[in-house]
Amino acid sequence: MTSSSHHLLKWQLPASAFTLSLLALPAMRHVLEASMTRQMLVQFPLLLLSGFSLAGSLPRVWRAAAGRWNRHGISGLFAAAMLLAILMIPRLLDLALTDIRIELAKWLALLVCGAAVRLSWRPAGLVMQGFFLGNVLPMMAVIGYLFDSSPVRLCNAYLIDDQEGLGQKLVWIATVIGLTWLVSVFRKLMQTND
Amino acid sequence: MLRTAVLSVILAAAAYGAAAWLTHDFQIWTAEGARRMEVVLQPIAAPAVRIDGPGLGLQPLSHILADGHAITLLDFVYTRCRTVCTALGSVFQQMQGMLQADSRANPAAQRVRLVSISFDQQYDNPQILQAYAARLGADPLVWRFLRVPDAAESRRLLAALQVVVVPDGRGDFEHNAALLVIDQHGRLVRVFDYAESQLAIDFARDMAGRIAP
Repeated sequence: MTSSSHHLLKWQLPASAFTLSLLALPAMRHVLEASMTRQMLVQFPLLLLSGFSLAGSLPRVWRAAAGRWNRHGISGLFAAAMLLAILMIPRLLDLALTDIRIELAKWLALLVCGAAVRLSWRPAGLVMQGFFLGNVLPMMAVIGYLFDSSPVRLCNAYLIDDQEGLGQKLVWIATVIGLTWLVSVFRKLMQTND
Repeated sequence: MLRTAVLSVILAAAAYGAAAWLTHDFQIWTAEGARRMEVVLQPIAAPAVRIDGPGLGLQPLSHILADGHAITLLDFVYTRCRTVCTALGSVFQQMQGMLQADSRANPAAQRVRLVSISFDQQYDNPQILQAYAARLGADPLVWRFLRVPDAAESRRLLAALQVVVVPDGRGDFEHNAALLVIDQHGRLVRVFDYAESQLAIDFARDMAGRIAP
């Protein structure tokens, strides 16, 4: 590990704590949750990222202990895929606005999801990674397509234009993530062949 | 590897449980779907708020909705609306026509009423509502227009009946507009889509027919 990346890792804990407290500010929550797009494309990823870096700052012993329950990253990626599926059910977005318990569960689920990916990605290897993305990305694209093509609003609290815009963006994001991963796999395979 | 397998099975069971709870056993995916299903199982009493409207002084909403012998088909509107409410206006116009035609042959039809409540209570004063009702040809014996003048009470009514109103930033509102069936005790018992207006009216007539005279 280079010293510069080591330096970066040291900042994971304060950075994620800062992000989390910023996101938890009532004004920030209000702004991000007033729009379906801002909620799913800004708040969700920032919470995932916080979970991701929090898991990185866990003591090595804990990570090793978690690894014994997470061979090849199977249970971690499995949990992440299922959590993401549940988080994309439209009812959840409406409920989170009116029920603080659901809102807390949503936050926790996103943090756990980010953490699970962090702890599982490397042990998973290309096959498991591909399996994970092969589940999550098509699901995301299908949900995006449904959001975009539904003639009715799927969330009572959000506008139809917002829903359509988010749907299109979800399809794009799923595509870009998929292609990025494929390119990285390709590169790795090229390097091992050389 | 055994521990990983065990944990995965536990996680799968937990996720299944959470998803089943959230979707009422995989039957609904939206809050609106859940609302419609839940109200059938557990009717919601309209809260005690005060209303007024054309020809109606300030009085409790229960005077209108819970008179003990009429079924109400209720919707929420705002008169500045040019999109969905116009559709709902014409649905209510058709239903009024059906109820009027029926009331001669079928006494139960006389005990079904239409009520439109405005959630834009600042703009929609009784005069505006009167003009709007006249424009739609509303017969006050069948179809009444109301508003909840007090903003806090209006919010309370909307929240209790789970009507969510979102300003679209262009002066209009989007809301989960639907036909709400209110029983003779003022409880919301069923929610129908616009497209199901025939079903809604049959349901209301059937309920009205079963009230002891």
